[in-house]
Amino acid sequence: MRSPRTLLGAAAVLAVAVAAACGGGGSSSGASSGGSHSPVTLTVWHQYAQEEAKPFENGIAAFEKQYPWIHVKLELQPNPDQDTFDPNLIAAIKGGNAPDVAVGFTPQYAGQYCSSGLWEDLTPFMQKDHMSISNFAPATQSYTNIDGKQCALPSLTDAYGLYYNTAMFKKAGIASPPQTMDELAADAKKLTVRNPDGSIKVAGFVPLNLWEELDIADIGHAFGAQWFDSSGKAQLATDPAWTQAFEWQKSLVDWYGYSNLQKFYATYTNSEFNPTNAFETGKVAMVFDGEWRTAFIRREHPDLGYGTAPFPAADPSVYGSGRVGGTIVGIPQGTKHPQEAWDLVKFLATDTPYLVSLANELGNVPTTKASGDSPDLHLGPQFKTFVDIWNNPKSSMYPPLLPTGAGYAQLADDFDAKWQAGNVPNLQQGLQQLDTNIDNQIQQGETP
Amino acid sequence: MRTPAQRRRARRRVALRKYATVLGFLSPWIIGFALFTGWPMLLSLYYSFTHYDLLTAPSWVGLDNYRFMFGIGTIHGQHESDPYFWRAVRNTAWIILISVPLRIVVAMLTAMLLTRPKRGVNVYRTLFFMPSLAPTVGAALVFVYLLNPTTGPVNRVLSTIPGLNAPLWFYDPTWAKPALIVLGLWGIGDAIVIYLAGLLDVPRDLYEAISIEGANAWQRFRHVTLPMITPVIFFTLVIGVIDGFQYFDQAFVSSTTAGTSPGDPQGSLLFYGVWLYQQAFTYFHMGYAAAMAWVLFIATMATTAILFATARKWVHYGGGMS
Repeated sequence: MRSPRTLLGAAAVLAVAVAAACGGGGSSSGASSGGSHSPVTLTVWHQYAQEEAKPFENGIAAFEKQYPWIHVKLELQPNPDQDTFDPNLIAAIKGGNAPDVAVGFTPQYAGQYCSSGLWEDLTPFMQKDHMSISNFAPATQSYTNIDGKQCALPSLTDAYGLYYNTAMFKKAGIASPPQTMDELAADAKKLTVRNPDGSIKVAGFVPLNLWEELDIADIGHAFGAQWFDSSGKAQLATDPAWTQAFEWQKSLVDWYGYSNLQKFYATYTNSEFNPTNAFETGKVAMVFDGEWRTAFIRREHPDLGYGTAPFPAADPSVYGSGRVGGTIVGIPQGTKHPQEAWDLVKFLATDTPYLVSLANELGNVPTTKASGDSPDLHLGPQFKTFVDIWNNPKSSMYPPLLPTGAGYAQLADDFDAKWQAGNVPNLQQGLQQLDTNIDNQIQQGETP
Repeated sequence: MRTPAQRRRARRRVALRKYATVLGFLSPWIIGFALFTGWPMLLSLYYSFTHYDLLTAPSWVGLDNYRFMFGIGTIHGQHESDPYFWRAVRNTAWIILISVPLRIVVAMLTAMLLTRPKRGVNVYRTLFFMPSLAPTVGAALVFVYLLNPTTGPVNRVLSTIPGLNAPLWFYDPTWAKPALIVLGLWGIGDAIVIYLAGLLDVPRDLYEAISIEGANAWQRFRHVTLPMITPVIFFTLVIGVIDGFQYFDQAFVSSTTAGTSPGDPQGSLLFYGVWLYQQAFTYFHMGYAAAMAWVLFIATMATTAILFATARKWVHYGGGMS
């Protein structure tokens, strides 16, 4: 029991000492790189697989050209389910053989990465390079700065908004995409086509929780609802916007008939990322979806006539904003080359040609202002909507990331699944119980 | 001439050497067990009294995890409890109480039918056994497809029956567990084989004897077959109950395939194992998950012990053994 721990302790001390000795520390300066420019090999763990691998590797090659003394060794570390944080990475950090740079696809775990200190705080590096987080859109903070630590930077992101089928809009006599939730419900009804038995042939808009990307969190956001009060307690029962959001959803679900919607849902199970996707095949007229759908449509249904817009909002002040969040880059604890690791992190997060070319290839939103405004970005007129959503000051990655993560949001999804099915007799009481459960779960995750 | 003391010492040496040989031969297992089962179990017992999130070192919290589980007493001065624990317990109890007896009855009846055919016996037996060779995950995926309310073949057939409102299966909390029961009964071949062996083992002369007494088919079953296969029933009961406590794969796969999160629809497939998994690997409440695992272990042990205690009353071993 005792000896291994002592050994580990000694190893940790040694690692810190080595890191301090090799890194050049905070004293060295210069925007390009501190240190001696003696050859260094950085190990990078990333998740760019298949068709995404090549553009990423090209970017790394450009980095190596800029920093000829740094050689980058890429290691693909897929985390296919993404329903847990990168377990290999955590094991490697704890085992003292972490990569120098991590490129992660699961920003929802940034809370734990930051608060545990397993990803280094980048603030000293940024200060040294006179780099400010305000170079990025305000939403960046919501998933890279947790517990007061800036432990990651964004490198392309997703942004979510409304897709609508222009031909169906024209046929129904609707001139422009809905901007309020009332308009959304009215248009949804107008665009819906039913079979003789009342079942749904074409849905105007499917209001079910977790229909593809739609979450009750998004409906809540559209009503300006806030998850927590100033003391950090869940307030779904006390913020009236939540009640409005739940009731808006329920009334539209009831208009369709819950079991009709469930059958419709079952028909399109697992077709979200297939060419049989309901929006792409004209079975749904409006859908809440991410910017990547533009690339899917270009590839799978290039003839589909569609437009994009921010998701409608009942609260006019939030119109134009939405849910965002994407790839994060950072430095796992224990790197022996912190300066060079920072050089790469900075490149991946801020190099305009890199971000623009990767965005063009992958169809994701570029994360710096310069790359978002770049004339070289050629992703079509529908894509601009998502760049604007990313840059909107009211956009963020919600449900809010806490130091213990955002797993509590599952409780809201579970509640909404019952609510939309008509299995919650009293909304107010249900929401009170939900608040208690959320508070409990957050507390359960906190280190006492 | 050796003194008695010397002889005793010599005997002890021989005995020790024998122990050493035995231990030597057992050592692969002992080391394997200690390293990969015993030690992790002890560690998990320790973790069950800690707050442990994998990222930071475990910190001791005493009985808090157990209090949170059962909703007893206060933690940090507040009453807190796991909102889903009892739901997971109820779902697990349901699957054990319904599925285990059903499997026993269906396996036994199928096995009895399989003793009948005069020709092609092996073909039938193979056919009935085959489904149990399918991997659980694959079978669950296929059943989600088969039972899809709109596109699945089962409901396409059901929808031709006028007036019948076909169930939504994995999309309806009332029908999700029955769908899993159907899946379980489909893959019942392993139990059938055991029952078949048990049935064929019943001595013919007992049937002859009771027939001479004028017994009808029911009486033959009730007074010969049933008592003679109680050891098989007991075996499948114990294994079924233990499997039921650990019910996971089918539920996890079907709920995440048809729905979006483990336990869908509406928590109806949130079994104990599924919730334990989520606590551990979705929320990283490792300490709490360890506590849940220990409660599961104790519940399984206790139930098995109770079953063994009752066995004396109803399990008959042939050949005069009691």
